[in-house]
Amino acid sequence: MRPGSGVAIAVVAVALAFVVYCLIDLSRARVRNLPAWAWAVIICITIPWGGIIYLILGKDRTKPAAPDPPPPPAAPHVPRRIPAGPVQIEVDRLTKRFGHVTAVDDLSFAVRPGRVTGFLGPNGAGKSTTLRVILGLDAPTSGTALVGGRRYQEFIRPLHEVGSLLDATAVPAGRAGWSHLRAIAQSNGIGRRRLREVLELTGLEMVASRRLGEFSLGMKQRLGIAAALLANPPVLLLDEPANGLDPEGIRWFRQLLQAMAAEGRTILVSSHLMSEMAQTADHLVIIGRGRLLADVATEQFVSGTSHDVLVQSPRAGELASLLTASGAVVAPENGGGLAVTGMDAAAVGDLAVSHGIAVHQLVTRHGSLEEAYLTLTGASTDYRAGRPLPEVQTARAAR
Amino acid sequence: MTAPQLQAAGTAGTTPSPLVRARDVLASEWTKLSSLRSNRWTLGAAAIVTLVLTAVVAASFAAAPHGGQRAAPVDRLATSFLAFAEYLVLPVTVLSVLVFTSEYGSGLIRTTFTAVPRRRTVLAAKAAVTGAAALVTGEVLAFACFFLTQAILSGRHGGLSLAHPGAARGVLAAGFVLAACALVGVGAGAVLRHTAGAIAVAVTVVYLLAVLCLVLPAPWNLRLGRFTLPFAAYAEVTAHPPTGLFSPWLSLLVLIAWPAAALLTAAVVLTRRDV
Repeated sequence: MRPGSGVAIAVVAVALAFVVYCLIDLSRARVRNLPAWAWAVIICITIPWGGIIYLILGKDRTKPAAPDPPPPPAAPHVPRRIPAGPVQIEVDRLTKRFGHVTAVDDLSFAVRPGRVTGFLGPNGAGKSTTLRVILGLDAPTSGTALVGGRRYQEFIRPLHEVGSLLDATAVPAGRAGWSHLRAIAQSNGIGRRRLREVLELTGLEMVASRRLGEFSLGMKQRLGIAAALLANPPVLLLDEPANGLDPEGIRWFRQLLQAMAAEGRTILVSSHLMSEMAQTADHLVIIGRGRLLADVATEQFVSGTSHDVLVQSPRAGELASLLTASGAVVAPENGGGLAVTGMDAAAVGDLAVSHGIAVHQLVTRHGSLEEAYLTLTGASTDYRAGRPLPEVQTARAAR
Repeated sequence: MTAPQLQAAGTAGTTPSPLVRARDVLASEWTKLSSLRSNRWTLGAAAIVTLVLTAVVAASFAAAPHGGQRAAPVDRLATSFLAFAEYLVLPVTVLSVLVFTSEYGSGLIRTTFTAVPRRRTVLAAKAAVTGAAALVTGEVLAFACFFLTQAILSGRHGGLSLAHPGAARGVLAAGFVLAACALVGVGAGAVLRHTAGAIAVAVTVVYLLAVLCLVLPAPWNLRLGRFTLPFAAYAEVTAHPPTGLFSPWLSLLVLIAWPAAALLTAAVVLTRRDV
């Protein structure tokens, strides 16, 4: 429901209450020396007024969203003096329950400065809950979440310490972009000049005077990023910031994050998309069902994934038996050729040459990050198409 | 462009004084309240309708065949605020409820509490800004309604001046009543979070409790009714308070107690709840 229609419905409801009150008043013939025609005028004026307000405020004035402004070049961000000592996010044995549902279960990890840390997990894994606890919005059931060694609630002007973006669509539709950002900036003593700078940085200066209801999802994401960067904080917490950005915007955003990490900031970016994180993050924290699954460098995660060797040869059958004899596992590929595991490409090539077998193609294949991620999180996915989860079945059986 | 940006971010190191912090949050909440176009429209429309209704009421009194000589003399003071109390209070209360519930509805409340983690500070700032806006609106309209009514009544019954006993108190109190109702709305919105429920509760406190009390048998209607906002307000703005109501000073306490209770409940609930 639009906020405008909410106001209008409320006004109508309240007008009705007023009328009821008037009628009770009339029927009880209390002290008022008011002739009936005056009451009639009061009632007649009141009821249509609610309707008029509804027509004014409740009318759908949504214009088609303007196309996204062209993303600005990823200007090298201004270096900032990083306070002495490692500013980092530290989550320690964090548990958060909502009734019987455990959203975060004994989760511990640390985020270090100077790199982009990807916070990955399937939908419902507890990423947003963890971020909300770090930001002091939700109270943890047990455990702690500290930023720079302090609880978030202890910060006097927190935007100077931590910039955050939780939900880019959580903006008031009736307010202009500029007013929205200005209210956030004022609460932390940030001036107009810096406000203009972040609008410029995110490419929103041309649309800042428009109402947020007219913003597209991509523009709202940029606005959220602008709000996170308002005070130029050393720590950034971003929940699914790339949602709704176009490919160019995603690239701009990725470069922005990496540039800011290079300045020594601590950056935690959540996502449920491995492919996006693989290109952005230097380090990965992967959770599923509220538990920590992996806390590794992206490179290590990549090299840890399964790999095999694809070899194509006109004498494939002969080569296959040779390879099997030397201890490799060989499987035929769909496109013609052999998938070899347990032996690296050099050894396969050497073996082929030593037996005079021509090789047309010889490639080492890494399993995709996506696959590794799916393997890792597969057991912990909350919602998956087609197959009921074992936990769900046991829950049903228990009932 | 490096130097200015660094300077803009340079305030991080300094810890601002509590006074500066309070001013920051107040400024932020004022920006939120004043930058919503629907707020301005609704308040403006409500003000105009209040004045029109006041004129209608005054004219009907002036034109009544027996004037004030019938059962009771016309209360020329309370007449000024009939439309004010029975009409203007409603839209103002609703707008005040929306101060919190609209933020909960859109999810903006998370941004607000992330920017200012001390939730009671946010509550205090919202209450102060909304209350002040309602007080200013209320006082301006109370004076306007008073003078408008007295101007219309002056022909037949003779209008009052502010120097009349109780007149100045009544006019000032009428504006205060509006602020009290607005603060009840802010508190209800913060506690209940949902627009519909919060409006229902706020309207109950601001209006319907008094209506319910009227239905009670004779001694009890005023005995209980004097603790409700509308009766306390009536005791403030009438020149001839009916016996059974509190004195203006005790009624002022009632007018303070309701918003205080609403805001205290909100202060307790806000800090104990996940956002």
